[in-house]
Amino acid sequence: MDLVLQLLFTGIGIGAVYALVALGFVLIFRATNVVNFAQGEFSMVAAYLMVVCVELGLPYWLSFVIALAGMALLGVIFNLGVYYPLRHRTYLPVIIATIGASILLSNSVLAIYGPQPQVLQGWFDTPGIQLGPVYLDSQYLLIIGVTILLVLFNFWFFEKTLLGKKLQATSQDKEMASLLGISVSTMIMITFIYSAVLGGLAGILVAPVLFVSIQMGSTIALKAFAATIIGGFGDVAGAIVGGLALGVIETFGAAYISVPYKDGFAFLVLIAFLVFRPQGIFGERVAEKA
Amino acid sequence: MKLTRREFSAGLAAGLAAPALMRSAWAQGATIKIGMCVPVTGPAAEQGLWAQNGAKLALAAVNKAGGVLGRQVELVIEDDQTTNPGIVLAFSKLAAQSDIVAFLGSIRSTQVQAMAPDVIKVGKPVMIGGTNPDLTHSGNPWLFRFRPNDNYSGRVIADFGVTTLGKKKWAIVHSTDAFGTAGGKALTEALTKLGAPPVLDQGYANQSQDFTPVVLAVKQSGADVLGTYFTFENDLGIFARQLRQLGVNIPWVGSPSVVAVSSTKLAGPALFGTYGVADFAEDSSDTAKAFGKAYRDAYKTAPDNQSAWPYDAITILSAAINKAGSTDPNKIRDAILATQKFAGAEGEYNFDKNGDGLHGYNVVKNDKGKIVYDKHIDFND
Repeated sequence: MDLVLQLLFTGIGIGAVYALVALGFVLIFRATNVVNFAQGEFSMVAAYLMVVCVELGLPYWLSFVIALAGMALLGVIFNLGVYYPLRHRTYLPVIIATIGASILLSNSVLAIYGPQPQVLQGWFDTPGIQLGPVYLDSQYLLIIGVTILLVLFNFWFFEKTLLGKKLQATSQDKEMASLLGISVSTMIMITFIYSAVLGGLAGILVAPVLFVSIQMGSTIALKAFAATIIGGFGDVAGAIVGGLALGVIETFGAAYISVPYKDGFAFLVLIAFLVFRPQGIFGERVAEKA
Repeated sequence: MKLTRREFSAGLAAGLAAPALMRSAWAQGATIKIGMCVPVTGPAAEQGLWAQNGAKLALAAVNKAGGVLGRQVELVIEDDQTTNPGIVLAFSKLAAQSDIVAFLGSIRSTQVQAMAPDVIKVGKPVMIGGTNPDLTHSGNPWLFRFRPNDNYSGRVIADFGVTTLGKKKWAIVHSTDAFGTAGGKALTEALTKLGAPPVLDQGYANQSQDFTPVVLAVKQSGADVLGTYFTFENDLGIFARQLRQLGVNIPWVGSPSVVAVSSTKLAGPALFGTYGVADFAEDSSDTAKAFGKAYRDAYKTAPDNQSAWPYDAITILSAAINKAGSTDPNKIRDAILATQKFAGAEGEYNFDKNGDGLHGYNVVKNDKGKIVYDKHIDFND
């Protein structure tokens, strides 16, 4: 039983990381109908920005603010440089452009910072707490807490605020939205900024656990992408549930079946979904959109 | 005058051969050339630079002491691009220069494997740093190894844990890639021979974000000592932290990555007190210390095995050519194989018939973040 609880906590913790990155995928997909393959690199860039600020001697909170502001700026540049010039083309050139951007981002950081992984201290001085037989890593606790807050925030933002509703309207029907006086390009710009900040947040939160390295983004993004498909592409709740499910499944699969095939379980679930339920757990709303 | 076809052919042949003949005549009075295939570009470019540093340091010392056969020695460097096709191309470019007498190959076993068929064709001595045991055990007479091969790391880990630490219940954790699998197997064999077969043999896939299941398996196995073969330092860092968080504090003896500079930095206190095997340890001998000092003076940074083995290779190769009294490949080969009790930066070289120079490892300890030399374990076979 102790073992199960410990595995459950870790599974949810790592699943929350996938969920945060998956959220970024979903938001951009809803707004633009393309998958942004540079989403993982957003996490990596933010973690490096954070490392640079902390190394410069800035306080942790200020580094955090600067890193997220930097990500907002990167979202703007990404939108203007990668999406905007291709917005009237089909989805394919845009997807290829995001792959190109992801290679550019990771190689730029490699050129500036070198291949050695870096350490980023966690938010708390205490590494974790022992709760009975289960050890709770403080950084995982924070990640889970932030994920819960973000779910609530997203619900409030998209359902209760005017801006949120405008964003939803844009993602559902761009033509209709622009007829109603909504500036579609502004809405898409906001979506890119928000996704970049979200991806960045995930990167900064996970950095103390996984260390800061060039490939940190791509490894998380691959799982997050699988989580998005499992949850249902284009659904915020789906991304969260898909991420958490994936984290728990692979952790338990590793513990009870085989550690070397840990990644295999994640992708086995993905294949099963693609075959039997390609629209994902929360797939109906995508069907509605189509 | 009418030119016959035969005269034309003879003239053409002479014309083509002349530059080569002139070059070799000129070479008699010029330098002795050693070719070096090394990553100048690609992912290991930084390590490639350290290798060049080590080789050049040895070269300077050799030349200062009068060179080889009364001539100065020159290093001809070719970029292997850190890839297998890259090193094959680099080696063929160097091999085309007939005045190069011997070569330095790669520290990466896979690259040595790629170039091995060409090495046989060229038939000149090639110094290597790759540690896959097969490289010198596949009947290629021209490969000479300047690092201990992987058979020894497993034996040293086992010997140190069982004999020195007195631990017999082993848990082995290893990567499932070629390096980790071979290492895990070698360690299991060595432990079984010592009468302490492992209670857990646990593989993991590289770039795992979470090691909780592995740590819990170690915990449940009831092992009292841990042996590891980790390929990537960030995997090792995550594992080390989770190991300590979940309350596993048994002694730990690992492959060289446990004591690598970046793991020490990433894992911090989680690796304090661990042991690792290392082919180069600066405090292991006077020669290693002297090499360390010379390297620091020259390059203002600490040396490691990437620079230590090319240093030894150039030193021993030069001594062997001097002893052979000739640049004839077979005579150089015999002289290298006859090298015994030669104190190098990596350890004492005693070449065996396969071309392996070193037969043991240093054991080093992470003492509160500082890597200190503990002992050297050598084998006679």
